[in-house]
Amino acid sequence: MDAFLQGLALVFNFQTLLVIAGAAIFGVFVGAVPGLTATMAVALLVPITFYMDPTPAIAAIVTTSAMAIFAGDIPGTYLNIPGTPASAAYVGESHQLARQGRARETLGTNLVCSMFGGLFGTLVLVFVSPSLAEVALKFSSFEYFWLALLGLSCSIFISIGSKTKAFLSLLVGLLLSTVGLDMMSGAPRFTFGIPDLMAGINFIPVMIGMFALNELMSFYGSSNEGRNVPAVHKDEVFSSVPKHLKRYWRNLLRGSSTGTLIGALPGAGADIAAWISYAMGKSRSKNRDAYGTGHIEGIVDASSANNSGISGAWVPALVFGIPGDSITAIVIGVLYMKGMNPGPTIFMDGGGLVYALFTVFFIANLIMLPIGYIAIRSAKVFILTPRKILMPIILCFCIVGAFAINNAVTDVWIMLIIGLVAFILARNDFPMAPAILGLVLGGTLENNFMSSMLKSNGDLLSFFSRPISAGLGAMVILIWFLPLFIRLYRRYRGAAQSPRTP
Amino acid sequence: MKDFLLGLAFMAAGAIVYLVAQQFPTMPSLQYGPSLFPSLIGGGFMIGGLILAISHVGALKGIGHGMTWRMDREQLRNTLLSTLPGLAIVFYILASEWLGALLSLALIMFVLMLARRTSPLLAFGVSLVAALIIDLLFSRYLLIPLPEGVLSIWG
Repeated sequence: MDAFLQGLALVFNFQTLLVIAGAAIFGVFVGAVPGLTATMAVALLVPITFYMDPTPAIAAIVTTSAMAIFAGDIPGTYLNIPGTPASAAYVGESHQLARQGRARETLGTNLVCSMFGGLFGTLVLVFVSPSLAEVALKFSSFEYFWLALLGLSCSIFISIGSKTKAFLSLLVGLLLSTVGLDMMSGAPRFTFGIPDLMAGINFIPVMIGMFALNELMSFYGSSNEGRNVPAVHKDEVFSSVPKHLKRYWRNLLRGSSTGTLIGALPGAGADIAAWISYAMGKSRSKNRDAYGTGHIEGIVDASSANNSGISGAWVPALVFGIPGDSITAIVIGVLYMKGMNPGPTIFMDGGGLVYALFTVFFIANLIMLPIGYIAIRSAKVFILTPRKILMPIILCFCIVGAFAINNAVTDVWIMLIIGLVAFILARNDFPMAPAILGLVLGGTLENNFMSSMLKSNGDLLSFFSRPISAGLGAMVILIWFLPLFIRLYRRYRGAAQSPRTP
Repeated sequence: MKDFLLGLAFMAAGAIVYLVAQQFPTMPSLQYGPSLFPSLIGGGFMIGGLILAISHVGALKGIGHGMTWRMDREQLRNTLLSTLPGLAIVFYILASEWLGALLSLALIMFVLMLARRTSPLLAFGVSLVAALIIDLLFSRYLLIPLPEGVLSIWG
């Protein structure tokens, strides 16, 4: 109880509440400007949170990401351009509604669904993670090795598009994680005699390069400014929401639970959660034909899913230190910097910090309602903010932000090189999420492998000698061979059906 | 075609990573040394690159059949423009020591805004104010030692 009260005191103070309010406005802004993603918002925020206390730092990240994911719907609805990739799944649906003059009604429903999804995910986080942490306390290096490998394998399997490209993207991240002094032998690896690289590549310049610089380069490489607001809106924000929720409450629950589950899978973020929920909603709908013509049902499913995915991604991040998406990958780095080592012990010796974090989640999702309402009413301000003025300012934030972590120019170089590589890869449809997971989990994977080998005198079979370890190992192997099984099954079904067709 | 070339690039990168990894020192007490993971990653690059190249080998046949792979003028212009942020960063790294962070940032923003046809007066005003705010936030509030450059003579 004392820890809980301590946690509340950490949140309900002037500084933290001010940070939450500021982060909410920042999140709305970044989310609502097309081309700026939620992950980019968080990456830009990290250099500033570096100098804050742990609770306001985490509060800023949680609030920004939740708000940005909702605000991505605003340009999606008005301009048919998703503000963040998480809104892409249902952008056609919301834009069609806006063209019918129902933009505010759509965004109002979106807002309430986003809040509900976020709160649902938070409840799962609050109730599931402590009990999961008790199981995780029994884990040794063998289990953590498999868990890291499971996370990395999932990130490839779940990615959209070419699996080979996802695999190569993952390896880029893993390679970056090997830079620096080797943990076991102390040998320098890929440091090229640069002292700043001895401690390894700092992940913040990498994040800024991967998400911000990459986007900036894409912006300058395209001549599209894309700003005019054709839709007129005379409708009310919240007046139709109860009617829609009463009709589609099943979709709300289904979207939230699917989103939380998908968010918790490593490598799958809010965007994949929205796509899958939208597809699920469509396949189970009675009005399937209405989809694509401006149907609110699909929006209910997907907009609750992307926000619940944000909360769900925190479950593996907090319990195991395995990020659920690219935002929690950044968060894990921030938690380490703040001395809150993610893992099961965070629930034992957090001294109220975990309760503070849970409280922050509730506040971040509740504050979404008033700030989101104001954002919807003043949507034009965000949409009309010219990117040609905004992007150079963001670039300067990137430069100074990368420098600020260690006060080293090396980090600015790292940001530049990673940004260039990410730009080339992203332009050729390489997904970025596996690379970040590789960078964050590479050290965990290697260190746990090495310490397991030391414990077992190099016996590889020892990875299957403990029950949980063997179970996790079997899961990893199953995921590796799943595409093969699916292909064989399809071929078998095809062969079984073909004799019947004339 | 691009994927084919990227596949080859990954294969080459994999070979380099593998070769560099072989030079890492090993310790007699450890069966698996610091070279294990980098070697695996290098091997993975080579295999993944090979699969990527092979699966797009068809693009090469297209070239053989008279299909050319070249950029039109707008594509070339866009590719050159996309390098602007990178060039701006290199400029900052090289110039900020003597020009100072404030002036370098203001100059970068001004040029980048002009590149997207912002009116010069607006670009000048916004870049100056934004540079002052960034400098104030990081240098004075967060106490980051940003280079002061020529402005240091004013104290």
